[in-house]
Amino acid sequence: MREFITGNQAAVRGAIRAGCDYFAGYPITPASSILTEFVREFSNGSGIAVQTEDEIAAIGQCIGAAMAGARALTATSGPGMSLYSENIGLAQMGEVPLVIIDCQRLPPATGGATATGEGDVVFARHVTAGGFPLPVLAASDAASVYRLTYRAFDIAERLRTPVIVLSSKDIALTRQTVNLDLVELAPLTARRRHAGERTFRPYAVDRPADVPAFEPIGGATRVRFTGSIHDEDGLLTIDRARIARKLTHLREKVVANAALIEDVDADLDEKADTLIVSYGTADGAARDAVRRLRAAGEHISHLTLYSLWPIPEKALAAAAGGRMRRVIVPELNIGLYADELRRVVRGAAVESVVRYDGGLISPQALIEHFRDRNAEAVR
Amino acid sequence: MSLLTAVRNDMCYCPGCSHGLVLEQLAQAIARLALPPPRVCLVSDIGCIGTADRYFTCHTFHGLHGRSFTYAEGIQRVRPDVLTIVLVGDGGCGIGTAHLVHAARRGVPIKVIVCNNFNFGMTGGQHSPTTPADALTPTTPAGFHERPFDIAETARISGASFVARASAYDAGLPGLLERGLRAPGFALLEVWELCSAYFVQSNKLTPARLNELAARGGMPFGVLAEPPAGDARPAAPSSPADTGKAASDETVPQPRGPKLPWPGRREITLAGSAGQHIRTAVGALGEIAVACGLHAAEHDDYPITVRKGHSISNLVVDARPILFAGVEAPALVIIMSADGAARVGDLSHLPSSSQVIVASDLPPPATPATVHVVDLDAFARAATRAGVALALLAYGVVRAGWVESEALCAAADAVLSGRHRESNLSALRAGVAAAAAQSPACAASTAGGRHDP
Ligand code: SF4
Ligand SMILES: [Mg+2]
Repeated sequence: MREFITGNQAAVRGAIRAGCDYFAGYPITPASSILTEFVREFSNGSGIAVQTEDEIAAIGQCIGAAMAGARALTATSGPGMSLYSENIGLAQMGEVPLVIIDCQRLPPATGGATATGEGDVVFARHVTAGGFPLPVLAASDAASVYRLTYRAFDIAERLRTPVIVLSSKDIALTRQTVNLDLVELAPLTARRRHAGERTFRPYAVDRPADVPAFEPIGGATRVRFTGSIHDEDGLLTIDRARIARKLTHLREKVVANAALIEDVDADLDEKADTLIVSYGTADGAARDAVRRLRAAGEHISHLTLYSLWPIPEKALAAAAGGRMRRVIVPELNIGLYADELRRVVRGAAVESVVRYDGGLISPQALIEHFRDRNAEAVR
Repeated sequence: MSLLTAVRNDMCYCPGCSHGLVLEQLAQAIARLALPPPRVCLVSDIGCIGTADRYFTCHTFHGLHGRSFTYAEGIQRVRPDVLTIVLVGDGGCGIGTAHLVHAARRGVPIKVIVCNNFNFGMTGGQHSPTTPADALTPTTPAGFHERPFDIAETARISGASFVARASAYDAGLPGLLERGLRAPGFALLEVWELCSAYFVQSNKLTPARLNELAARGGMPFGVLAEPPAGDARPAAPSSPADTGKAASDETVPQPRGPKLPWPGRREITLAGSAGQHIRTAVGALGEIAVACGLHAAEHDDYPITVRKGHSISNLVVDARPILFAGVEAPALVIIMSADGAARVGDLSHLPSSSQVIVASDLPPPATPATVHVVDLDAFARAATRAGVALALLAYGVVRAGWVESEALCAAADAVLSGRHRESNLSALRAGVAAAAAQSPACAASTAGGRHDP
């Protein structure tokens, strides 16, 4: 059914479709309507929605709830992400399946509550100490926020990790025409549970890239959860071999499963020597610009990134390899992801098109940049 | 059966530390409740006492400093049948005061055991919020001159159902632990302890002196709050009510309208002030468009205080899917107030094919677009004050020739629903009528030397 809904409404629908039954959040523009929608959705007793005293409590409750077996979600904006930081590390170390939606707004600090900005794209990846990989997805409109929120739950469950879904003010609060029935969703993978007679060892894995079986706190099988460095029994350890094994596992389970996370849409033209790589709000402008340029007889390729971390290197190599000379990256920040792409894109010049005054990059701006063949790469 | 895997002397605590003693008594109190271990979860905070989870055979959760209350609340809400115990020190109660206060206020049925030894043992004996007056610590070399934090009293005034304070060496401690664990709602027991490695060394504290300290500091031992007998305090609603209803991502089917012909991508900007129902009007037109087979995107611009200042709502309507939801060059700009005009700013970049409708009390903007001046009072008479924005929108889209009057009215009639259906319908009809009839009440004049078509 065709509907006219906001990105935040779509996020809530995607979460519930994925079985989300616990939401805790603290009001913040432009994420607040996710909280109010969940309060409404769960008023029939089908889940629990809590408005907490602050963001730290919001993610803390979600971590506790997730470890007790709930499918938990929290949502905030950049300032709240800063407060989530330490607990995101806890969720990594403790291997908590948890979904976090960051409805970005104009940064830094309080920034602009009702102004758009997508400056958390690198911060989301490095939001907590240690640098261990964290899957980060990026929605570009209401339909993709629905699909990615649903997918985030699957990734979170399969890899037992926090997963961040980036939205932003102009996705979160913009009402758009969507038909969620037409959004393709893969079936969810069932949680891997502990089986057999052996004693449950809450963090036991055979190989580093494996994911430990999940048993809920409160179930018949005793669970040990800890944010301190631990062995496979969940007991604090100072043994170097065990420490290395645990931390290698934290890296490997994400890196080795990058294909599970990678999510792109390639719209390539064999004759093109220019590729637009876009994500977030700029993606709509890029699609529009590509359509108009092609209608005018130009050759241009386009790659939409719905997953930002791990960097979808395979898809980038396929799209930006060969004859590609220019890679244009429009972003609502100071050119953060273009800097990351420069590390992985070989042979083509990565050109930033940036805007960070609270307004959107327009298709026309991209067309003009494309046409300026002599455009010096910004930065 | 004890939940402990170690006896006091085999635990990691310094000789003379109170922690082992309190943990043994806590384990015994839990055992007296005769709960199977999987029905108990111990959430330990940070500091020396935070390491206690490893000695317990129930479910254990060891998280971040001061946040143990929040994890316990999440676990408790999902599993209200599990006895959830928080084990926290004086430092944890300091850094996590907000969580302590609000969990108590919400009546979350968690049981909090505070091991208060007046300093940060694990990090070297620095003062904590509960350090008593004049006490010497590495961070208060001239004595502590702040008012000590009264944890138990804070819990009491925040609404905890059971609150008590005791010395770790009090013969009544086992009984208080059990009462705390059995109490309904939020319970807190503050246990005063000795940190033999630091606080005792500099302050000559002994078990006997703990009692003197309590008396002198005006923080008496004993029960501070208790639920009235037989009156189980209602706990915070925690588990999802067992209604058998699963949450659903289905929405109530929305009414469908007749197919609405539309010429192509059209960008509309409605600019006014808070209170002029700008977003409601644009939302209504967007809903009509979507229900009638078109695509729409609405994005708004307003200051952080929604009831004051400018309110701008942009609507893109197209027969094709909308890729770019923003506005590049609006084909229709409606300006209802000075706030709106100021925010929209310069309109000299508009193409001459665009239309600008501006309230007659505002200076007409300098623009190559066609400008119509309208009298908002006349629209208000026809459509009520609240309906002016929607009336102007209907007026604008019909005047621009994008949609037929009858088709728009029929679409609105089929689609609009809810509390404001009638008022929205009449506003829309008033706008359509003004456009179709060029009613003198809403007479449009021209500006910039251009003539209306
Ligand atoms: S440092 Fe103090 S609190 Fe920590 S174990 Fe030693 S005596 Fe106990
Ligand atoms: Mg202490």
